[in-house]
Amino acid sequence: MTHINADHERCEGHGLCEQIAPEVYRVNDDGEVELLVDEVPDGLRAQAEAGARVCPVAALHILALHPNDP
Amino acid sequence: MSAPSPPCTSSRYTPMTHELRRVVIAGGSIAAVTAAETLRLRGFDGDITILSDEARPPYTRVPLSKGILAGLETTKSTALPALGDDVTIRLNAPVAQLLVDERRVVLADAELVPYDGLIIATGARARRLGAPTQRGEHVIRTIADATNLADRIAAAGSVLVVGAGFLGMEIASTCATRGLHVTVVDRDPPLRRLLGDWLARRVVAAAEERGVKFVLAPNGVRLLGDPDITGVDCGNHVLCADVVVTAAGDVPNTEWLTDSGLALAGGVVVDERCLAAPNIAAAGDVSAVRQPTGSFQRCPHWSNAVHQGQTAATSLLGAQSDPPRRHDPYFWTEQFGLNIKYSGQIPSDCAPTVLAGEPPHRSGLFQWHDNDQPVAAASVNHPIPIVKLKKLARTRPWPTQHWPPTTAATRRHRPAVTLSDMTKTRARLGRASRKLETPHH
Repeated sequence: MTHINADHERCEGHGLCEQIAPEVYRVNDDGEVELLVDEVPDGLRAQAEAGARVCPVAALHILALHPNDP
Repeated sequence: MSAPSPPCTSSRYTPMTHELRRVVIAGGSIAAVTAAETLRLRGFDGDITILSDEARPPYTRVPLSKGILAGLETTKSTALPALGDDVTIRLNAPVAQLLVDERRVVLADAELVPYDGLIIATGARARRLGAPTQRGEHVIRTIADATNLADRIAAAGSVLVVGAGFLGMEIASTCATRGLHVTVVDRDPPLRRLLGDWLARRVVAAAEERGVKFVLAPNGVRLLGDPDITGVDCGNHVLCADVVVTAAGDVPNTEWLTDSGLALAGGVVVDERCLAAPNIAAAGDVSAVRQPTGSFQRCPHWSNAVHQGQTAATSLLGAQSDPPRRHDPYFWTEQFGLNIKYSGQIPSDCAPTVLAGEPPHRSGLFQWHDNDQPVAAASVNHPIPIVKLKKLARTRPWPTQHWPPTTAATRRHRPAVTLSDMTKTRARLGRASRKLETPHH
């Protein structure tokens, strides 16, 4: 399982994460990112990472990568 | 798959028939990263090599004119989450030449890097106005640019910003917050081309309240001082400052492609699938897409780089039967206490419908119309999901003009742009290309 840290101080609500990985991220009516899963299941990990990587303000970070995973 | 015979004579060239095992991505910013990521998400299991001319792993440039320049953020905070071990990132590896016939990229140190598929994402660099002998012209494009300028303004009393687009205005805003005397000079009214007259005036008012002065120089400016820059000549008068920053647009990094045979028109010419040639795609600030008017336009913004990075990777994998994904244009800027987000093309000379907010409209939600149809929407200090903002702009889909024209049937069997097309287009574009690259300031 992978954990994502969303830095709400940095988040500006541009929503690119949601655009890339709508099953993991959502930008709410207040324009803030919400994580739709507490722990990211393996099946969504690649999408979650892709969503984090396109954040223009680098507000999303993958915390628990399993180095031995493919 | 079959493809038309290329005009080149090299027997080594075998268009679209070889297996795609090695993808090389030239460039190391968000378009390159997104392309690599998309290749993996789409199941590509061959080699991916990113060739970056930067010394740092991929980072976001967005905070450079804000948090980094203000000295409030560390450079570490701009790092993008690292790509997996299955992507090779080579830093300090600037590309120097592309050999299309041989399918090799030549690095600056003459090393040859072979590829089966290439994604060009070499981006753009800051346009400079100074002569080679002049010293001290600041720009912001890289982390080093931003930290150098941050150090410089810490010991300065006044700054002159040449260029009143988003970057110039963000630099002006940060400098004003740091207590400097700030003057912004441009040949056009500040922000008007981007935000339209109505919204631009409100931003300028907020800037003037913070002490920023604006100077219009319709004939452009010339940097003064040799070797050390001391100010600018606006034609009718001279402005001096401790620090001069140029934020007058960017120049696409296409020099390494000059002899490649690829069509260049103020950027690498791509079709709507981001293809520039068989097995060659381009994405991000370096790419230029044909407009309905026949001109070629770059869109050097983050959301476009992400979109094109995805599209380029998908196209390279040969998913040509997929229609190009629609891309709603989305842009933002943060300056002078105003957090502005918008979608669509804001008309330059009409007032919007106010959907939320009270005069003097320093915050709210605004929608512009053209012939009673919504064409743009902007939020100013007004939280809104971007999906909703884009719907309010209800932007017409980007034109999906087929270029060169092909029928639906042939599109599945040939790349959208052939080498033959490239050669013809390149000849036709010779002069237009140079004209397009004329500086705006």
